[in-house]
Amino acid sequence: MSVDFSFDEDQRELRTIIAAFLERHATSQAVREAAEGDGFAAEQWGRLTGEMELTGLAVDPERGGAGATFVEVGIAIEEIGRTLLPVPYLSTVTVAAVLSHICGDAEAAPLLGRIAGGAAAAVEFGDARPAAASEGEAADGGDRSAGSALHIKDDQVDGEVAVVDGVTAEIFILAGERADESVLVVVEAGAPGVTVTPLATLDQTRRQAQVRLDGAPATVLATGADAIAGARDLRSVAIAVESVGAAARALDETVTYLKERVQFGKPIGSFQALKHRCADLATELEAARSTAYYATWAVDGAPEELPVVAPLAEAVAGAALLHVAAESIQMHGGIGFTWEHDAHMYLKRAKANELLAGGYRGVRRLVGERAGILG
Amino acid sequence: MDLRPTAADEAFRQEVREWLGEHLRGEFAELGGAGGPGREHEGFEVRLAWERELGKGGWIGLDLAPEHGGRGAGLDRQVIWAEEYARAGAPARVNHMGEHLLAPTVAHFGTDAQRERFLPPILRGEELWCQGYSEPGAGSDLAAVRTRARLDGDVWRIDGQKVWTSLAMQADWCFAVVRSEPGSERHRGLSYLLVPMRQPGIEIRPIVQITGTSEFSEVFFEGATTDAANVVGESGEGWKVAMGTLGFERGVATLAQQIGFGRELEAVIATARETGATRDPEIAARLVDAWIELRTMRYQALRSLSDGQPVSASMSKLLWGPWHRRLGELAIDVRGADATRVEAPYALDGDQALFLYTRADTIYAGSNEIQRNIISERMLGLPQG
Repeated sequence: MSVDFSFDEDQRELRTIIAAFLERHATSQAVREAAEGDGFAAEQWGRLTGEMELTGLAVDPERGGAGATFVEVGIAIEEIGRTLLPVPYLSTVTVAAVLSHICGDAEAAPLLGRIAGGAAAAVEFGDARPAAASEGEAADGGDRSAGSALHIKDDQVDGEVAVVDGVTAEIFILAGERADESVLVVVEAGAPGVTVTPLATLDQTRRQAQVRLDGAPATVLATGADAIAGARDLRSVAIAVESVGAAARALDETVTYLKERVQFGKPIGSFQALKHRCADLATELEAARSTAYYATWAVDGAPEELPVVAPLAEAVAGAALLHVAAESIQMHGGIGFTWEHDAHMYLKRAKANELLAGGYRGVRRLVGERAGILG
Repeated sequence: MDLRPTAADEAFRQEVREWLGEHLRGEFAELGGAGGPGREHEGFEVRLAWERELGKGGWIGLDLAPEHGGRGAGLDRQVIWAEEYARAGAPARVNHMGEHLLAPTVAHFGTDAQRERFLPPILRGEELWCQGYSEPGAGSDLAAVRTRARLDGDVWRIDGQKVWTSLAMQADWCFAVVRSEPGSERHRGLSYLLVPMRQPGIEIRPIVQITGTSEFSEVFFEGATTDAANVVGESGEGWKVAMGTLGFERGVATLAQQIGFGRELEAVIATARETGATRDPEIAARLVDAWIELRTMRYQALRSLSDGQPVSASMSKLLWGPWHRRLGELAIDVRGADATRVEAPYALDGDQALFLYTRADTIYAGSNEIQRNIISERMLGLPQG
């Protein structure tokens, strides 16, 4: 088949290896310990980046990576996403993709080498998607860094911004403004003038940090709104495929519960009122999965499609996760409302993703504008 | 994961384009994309002539093996053909049942004599078929079929009633699931018979639909006959054959159908721009959602055609049925009050027909509820109620 969506043998094996590791080391208990502690599963992160070398998957072999594509990275994101393990994998590989696809080689190469070696990184664009900011206002790539809180002058950056996965990051990629143009800069977490303050977050499995920059040294990696939009699109693809993983786990857990829980003398999963809700969720999830997989392929296979496909995948997969997570709590009944059950963690991840994206209505509007749907 | 077409695929696409460019002319081209669900009454005679033109070009039954008169085309080529066909704006086909349901069934389950008798006229566009499955008491529950057939010497004698039979008025033949063993129940004792439609023992009564037009009919069998040899598969094994036919119905058609959906959506958006409806944020959002969901369905269909990642046909149906219904609503919502007036006495325009006809999309070929049962029980493994 030339139209081939299937994973090859190496890709399937990669998935099996990662899943097997997570099965043992990212149990519900392990995830909770990290989430309710400092929000970082340090030991697991060490092994995922060390012996498993997962942050280098799509990094050029010359920089110490495995030279795979974003499809392989997507497999890792999806599997980790299933567990909600608090590690900065998505952020780090998003940074790697931004460096590889958006930035010049001279600046990117040393950073990619460090990421392949296990350095954590985080990326922040400093604002919600502007498409959501105001009704009817043009929201193309040109506006996407409007209102940035960071200002760059003479290779120094000033300002303050909340950064997802910012506590553990050694490397920050940040969007800001230099004179009249938007720029993407790299800032070292350990550099003078950088203050990182951990923030407590609604979603404890993915923490944020308040990053304050007082004349911190910054190197410009890329300039222009298109570069920033492109970087943001890469994160959208990562979030999309992660959402698919998380939603699949939440639905699996729910279906399992419906088969076990007995009321009125039979498993509640035999009642159509619940079965049909599961069927709708499974259908939405599989459509989202197809879309997210297409998007991960497009990163290397059809980058010209990403401006439309990336936000499309984020909106579709994000909504699927939101719906599955919300329904999971309801279908679990009272137990789903307790802290001890995992259902709430998926809802919190789902909602945090949506809010950080600026709301899926805005993301969909952006798709419409970029695809020229309404002319 | 390679989603790029090969050079050979592109060459085939070019061949299709050229053939359509040369032959889709004159009265055929004038029809535009006429016909299809909700519009089967449009230009039927010309569409029948077009079917024969396609037959001469060898474009009917692409998927059939060469020894059965087809091209042995794989999924890629079938998809390319269907996409280019839709893109060219060619008329809707008149023998979907014959080409896509009966022909593969006869090729798979039939005898050599049945293949020789029935496949060539389908491939030439000379014999049209209808499907005799549903009955008044057997809708979602097909195994409740009651139409009886008994072998009487060298003929089957058939009594009973079928309903919702598409294009029964135009069809030359019917493939029907009938109860051939008296007293049998459910899936046992059924046979898959091929029955000539033009005979005294068959009466056809068109059903007037909510559109005011008729594509479906009731078909009454009163002592209708067919040759004893016209049973496909073993007598009493009709359920297996019928399920095989349903299997053939799915797959490739989805991508082609989506091309048609895309054209419909474009037309709705064009109308919305003309009427200014796109300035309404709610309408604009619904149009964008429709576009996004159609894209999503395309990725889903592409994935379902790949090896190793089977995607349920029930899921595809559960996506496109409600989507198409929403498109029908958009089609008249963007028109506003103008869409409340029809041509006397009751001729609907395309938008009105789309709004009304799509009500059926979530009922036929397995209602949404049946699809949800299939997904929840067969895919998710939830227990039967």
